[in-house]
Amino acid sequence: MSILVVVPTLLRPLTNGEKRVSAQGSSVAEVIDHLEGQFPGIKAKLVHGDRVHRFVNVYINEDDIRFADGLDTPVKAGDTLTVLPAVAGG
Amino acid sequence: MRTEAPHDALLAASDMPPLLTQFSLTHALASPLPKWKAMQTSLAGQARALGIQQSAAGPAANPDDAAFVLAHPALSSIQARYTSPAEWLPVASLSELLVQAACGIMSVHGRASGKAQPLGVNYLAALTSAMALQATLAAAVGQLRGGTFREVRVSPLGCGLLSIGQYLAGATAPEDREQLLPGGTDARLRPPFRSADGISFELETLDSGPWRCFWESIGIGRDLAGAAWRAFLLRYARAVSPLPAECHEALADLPYERIRHLAEQAGVATVPVRTAAQRRQDADYGQMEDSPWDFSLPSAIPEQQEAARERKAAAGSLPLAGVKVVESCRRIQGPLAGHLLALLGAEVIRLEPPGGDPLRAMPPCADGCSVRFDALNHLKHVQEVDIKSAAGRRLIHELVGESDVFLHNWAPGKAQELMLDAAHLHRVQPRLVYAYAGGWGNAPVAAPGTDFTVQAWSGVADAIATASGTHGGSLFTVLDVLGGVLASLGVTAALLKRSVEATGVQVESSLLGAGDLLLRSSEDRAAGLLRGVHPTRSGLIAIDCREPAQLQSLSALLDLPASSTPSPALLTERLRRLPASEWEPLMISRGIGACTVAEDLGLVAADSRFAECLDHRAYSFVKSPWSFP
Repeated sequence: MSILVVVPTLLRPLTNGEKRVSAQGSSVAEVIDHLEGQFPGIKAKLVHGDRVHRFVNVYINEDDIRFADGLDTPVKAGDTLTVLPAVAGG
Repeated sequence: MRTEAPHDALLAASDMPPLLTQFSLTHALASPLPKWKAMQTSLAGQARALGIQQSAAGPAANPDDAAFVLAHPALSSIQARYTSPAEWLPVASLSELLVQAACGIMSVHGRASGKAQPLGVNYLAALTSAMALQATLAAAVGQLRGGTFREVRVSPLGCGLLSIGQYLAGATAPEDREQLLPGGTDARLRPPFRSADGISFELETLDSGPWRCFWESIGIGRDLAGAAWRAFLLRYARAVSPLPAECHEALADLPYERIRHLAEQAGVATVPVRTAAQRRQDADYGQMEDSPWDFSLPSAIPEQQEAARERKAAAGSLPLAGVKVVESCRRIQGPLAGHLLALLGAEVIRLEPPGGDPLRAMPPCADGCSVRFDALNHLKHVQEVDIKSAAGRRLIHELVGESDVFLHNWAPGKAQELMLDAAHLHRVQPRLVYAYAGGWGNAPVAAPGTDFTVQAWSGVADAIATASGTHGGSLFTVLDVLGGVLASLGVTAALLKRSVEATGVQVESSLLGAGDLLLRSSEDRAAGLLRGVHPTRSGLIAIDCREPAQLQSLSALLDLPASSTPSPALLTERLRRLPASEWEPLMISRGIGACTVAEDLGLVAADSRFAECLDHRAYSFVKSPWSFP
């Protein structure tokens, strides 16, 4: 299943400058593993153990995966996975 | 190395004599800002808090158009003047309303308050007077370091622009540019919240886990809680926060005590929106004695001969050239304080965690860095360090050993935990200025000290809400910015104390102290004969008439009855004849205080009249509002 992944500026050096890349998988974890196969090093920037890094937000379409099933959140063909830095507070 | 116990090493603030006792400040008898009395009132209050003697004098003591003159027996006197871009309003016409209109504050405040409108508090009076005082004290430091700084010039418009510099950066980024206009989000959907028993309150957490638990506990599903979190995160960066209506409705069905209990269980803080009168009754408010700073000195003052070791200024045109600052700050307040010191010439070394500050990644970006981050940090050197490790602590000690200032904004208690508190660092560098830019000062509040919780607690949110016709304060980070300015003024005053007396100094300031100062600066609300923001055929215009002659001119221009203040309906009807951009020059040429309200920050950046205040690289950023001719 093809998922569109929107890459934040800081990770684009890992995706050869590409802002949008495609990846395969039926869960967020699988998509990230597939991304790692294409762009080595990217997984370590997104997850730590079995969790998303504290300063990273991952959205499937409009939904924050922390409010779904985390890395086990299912994805389907045509979904968009967006990575955004997450910093709360001023 | 001295061996005092850390807790005994400092002279308590209440025992301490005023900081800058040998300094005197003479205000011009005829203010160069006749339409902006609050500026001088706020400046006088801040100078008083620093222990500076003050008087008013005629032209003999204050040559030309100096707003004030700072004097000290060991210094040449320093004259401070306000400036304004030649193509724009003259200094004598400037007022709180007009500069808020021009610089984009009304635009940013309007993003979540329904429309472009003033904050309703004397924000720029407090901010600009602090920055005027800061430049003057910096000039004194520069003289004591061997420079010749006898005059400072301060642009109130430049100060206003600097206050929204991060939003200006976001609005002019090369990609993912923020195009947020006033009224763009529903003002009813933003925080604060209201309980069934009518209490208005803020929620605060810096983590999504407690947020999710809290909403689940009151029956909001995780999809909605997730959407709410996304909107909640927009507050600091974008000054909007359109939460799902269901969240507000669910809380409106519960009494405050129940909400507070559930929030506490989930790990989310609640802070009620209080009035200024409530704030003034707090014990910690009285203890601060109308000062946003808490200064203290190490009990063992180093030998006088250490004064001879003062590094002389590096050759340069800025007064703090050669001063070295180590900054360990996140987000806005602390980094802005460091940025201001850098604008005054200091070398600022910014400590960041290994891998860099996560805020570097916040979009929009230019050249791989968040423009909002870059706007506050581009003048600094970066040193990555793990402050929690022993090696990190050693590195910080080495840096501090050859520095003049250490500035941090860590959570309460963390400095002691890391053994990087004033007592420890004064042992490394006895003449260090140790500065803490915190949230709550001495207030006993168990909530994250962030802009919006402190606006709520201090009475600032209530004052802004009352003026703006909304249910909360501003989502423009008013206190982070003013707190940063006051922190850097505190550091500069401490540097001056150190230059004169060869002593280390500890200075603490807080968002809450900034809020208190802002409300004190807003007590003096010049009513004016006609002042406000009005729609025209296209765009809004701010009109500020203080004198009968101005009102007469306005009446003549608009074909209004000359005898009385025009009714709002009639005024609106007449102003519909022309766009704001055409009314502005017509009014200014007749001596009427007027300014088009900047609604689109992209247009502020492109306004050729403001060219001297701005610079443009990958995004637009605000230049120093100070000059030292």
